[in-house]
Amino acid sequence: MTEVFKNVTCPFCGVVCDDLQVKVENGVITEAKRGCVLGRYTFLKYDGDRATMRIDGKPATLDECIEAAVEILDESTFPLIYGLASTECDAQRKAVELADLIGSTIDTTSSVCHSPTLQAIQHMGDSTCTVGEIKNRSRLLIFWGCNPAESHPRHFSRYSVTPVGRFVPEGRKGRYVVNVDVRKTPSARAADLFIQVPPGKDYEVISTLRALVNGRPVDAAEVAGVKIEILRDLAERMKSVKFGSLFWGMGLTMSRGKHMNVMAMLQLARDLNQYTKFTASPMRGHGNVVGAATVLSYTTGYPFGINLGRGYPQYGPGEFTSVDVLARGEADAALIIAADAVGNFPAAAASHLKKIPTIAIDPKESMTTKTANIVIATAVSGIETGGTVYRMDGIPLPLTKIMDSDYPSDLDVLSRIIAGIRRRRGLTETETLHADAENHQRTSL
Amino acid sequence: MLKDYTSIPVEADSLRPDKITGLSRDQILALPLYHGNKTVTVGDFFEVQETGGDTLVIEGDLSKFKKLGQEMEGGRLVVRGNAGMHLGAYLRGGTIEVFGDTADWAGAEMKGGLIHIHGNTGHRAGAVYRGSEVGMHGGVILVDGNAGLEIGSFMRRGLIAVGGNAGDFAGAHMIAGSILVMGEMGVRAGASMRRGTLVTLKPFEPLPTFRDSGAYRFPFLRLFTDRLHSRGFRVPADVEQSLFRRFVGDMNEIGLGEILILEGRDHDG
Repeated sequence: MTEVFKNVTCPFCGVVCDDLQVKVENGVITEAKRGCVLGRYTFLKYDGDRATMRIDGKPATLDECIEAAVEILDESTFPLIYGLASTECDAQRKAVELADLIGSTIDTTSSVCHSPTLQAIQHMGDSTCTVGEIKNRSRLLIFWGCNPAESHPRHFSRYSVTPVGRFVPEGRKGRYVVNVDVRKTPSARAADLFIQVPPGKDYEVISTLRALVNGRPVDAAEVAGVKIEILRDLAERMKSVKFGSLFWGMGLTMSRGKHMNVMAMLQLARDLNQYTKFTASPMRGHGNVVGAATVLSYTTGYPFGINLGRGYPQYGPGEFTSVDVLARGEADAALIIAADAVGNFPAAAASHLKKIPTIAIDPKESMTTKTANIVIATAVSGIETGGTVYRMDGIPLPLTKIMDSDYPSDLDVLSRIIAGIRRRRGLTETETLHADAENHQRTSL
Repeated sequence: MLKDYTSIPVEADSLRPDKITGLSRDQILALPLYHGNKTVTVGDFFEVQETGGDTLVIEGDLSKFKKLGQEMEGGRLVVRGNAGMHLGAYLRGGTIEVFGDTADWAGAEMKGGLIHIHGNTGHRAGAVYRGSEVGMHGGVILVDGNAGLEIGSFMRRGLIAVGGNAGDFAGAHMIAGSILVMGEMGVRAGASMRRGTLVTLKPFEPLPTFRDSGAYRFPFLRLFTDRLHSRGFRVPADVEQSLFRRFVGDMNEIGLGEILILEGRDHDG
């Protein structure tokens, strides 16, 4: 039997292509048309390297895993819930409910990628638009500290560099592309101008570009090894284009200056809007990392690094972000969902995670599942479950359930953990939540 | 006195001299603290040795105790040991003295009073919280040791003096106020500052968006140093007679800020 699913949304990266055509033959995915190399792999190999249910390395049933997870989380004093980028929004919302119930810290993978972007936006606001607007209008594209050719392979062809837009009928010929980075990547080959900036010197260059855009005096002949004439020409080009777009990646957010680099970028976009129309957009990575920030924001008011220990949300980048909470040895239990913390965190944080009771909820084996005390294997979001995912520009898109699965969804598992904790505490369905909530008064933090 | 160390953070915003004054020993022991997701009491962590007066002295390693003296309006808080995050955040009045190191956000968004840290402090002392518009807008922070990143970012008024080194982005987005760093200052100090004064006694290279406006002696530094001396913070006596290179900026903003970099102590100019 052959079944073809059209307009399928790919859950892998932040571009969230929603035009894939997936063929299922005799219960096996055999084709993922229009997918990039990452998207095709996501669908064709979705069933490889599956995690297994286990407790302390020994096979266990789902019920046993849930019961053990309930006990750990209910008895913890400073639990951490982390991950959420590779699952769908209903599961993310359920994770917030669990955090509220147990008075936990909750954080997403944003805290190790684009949290500086989110912090910068909180200070500066952002001049943004959908990727559709970029495709239809933008004639100057500046990619700073990112390599979409490899990290977001269809960004260039769907939204930015090559597509024919309503007001850019010439396609690639109607656009000027700039790549700024510490080294030449495959993205540089797609650019008309490549500017090489030494590592950790982006702020100086962005700041100088702002001054040139604003017609302020700059005495230097070069900045961070970049000739001032190159920046002057770029500033003029930016001001004279009818519609331009800035993009940045972890080359800015995770290098010296972090959120300050992004604040400068947002200020640059703001300055440019005195002269023309310019947008600024982060190149968000994981499939639904934007969804995680969105769900946390509409449920708690903050996008990441949130603590609910006092019965209300407190926001603390550097204070309640996972790497910091773990590296300082503060968390006494952890629930890692749809992310590989051990594989991505610095040694001090990963090391503490190995010392405390840890529950991993994931469809696949990872370094985290290999060290977790409890592993709960789940269905693959966006292939074995439906749901909602947010694109990098904040647009929600529906996921398609293509395959049946013997595994529970992330949403099911989290719901069962919540129900188990409520039962353990003698709470009804409607009773709240954090037991100490009524004792606490909201502070201004 | 702290009875036992904890690795799990404790939110201790109830430990303020202005709130404790007049309370009995039992009332103090019953004040709430927030240990992770549990509500505990002062008595669970501390022994109370003596009560009375408007001075609260806490002894022990309080590096996991956050928000000590937060929103304090008066009195004197003395910490004999390290202190955790948000020490004296939103401080309105009174004095906090720490004989040890403090973690991040000491004196964040404070409006008045004095914080004297005899050791080092973490990042963002006197700075703005995420999403707020204004950092420290009054009062004094003195750090005998080193300070971390972004001290005084978005500060509006007040004085921060650091005896050692300061990290990157000191006084970034500063609206007004004064920062003195006697040691090395990290890169990008004063980035996007509008007004205000940054003074450093070590060589420093400002961002390209600052302009050299010459070398001068600044008599007003006597006021600076007198004020610091009166509060027990040592500044070299000849600073007000020394030559400083003055950079103005940030030109990306209104350009009314200044960075003064000690050029030499040649009293004859």
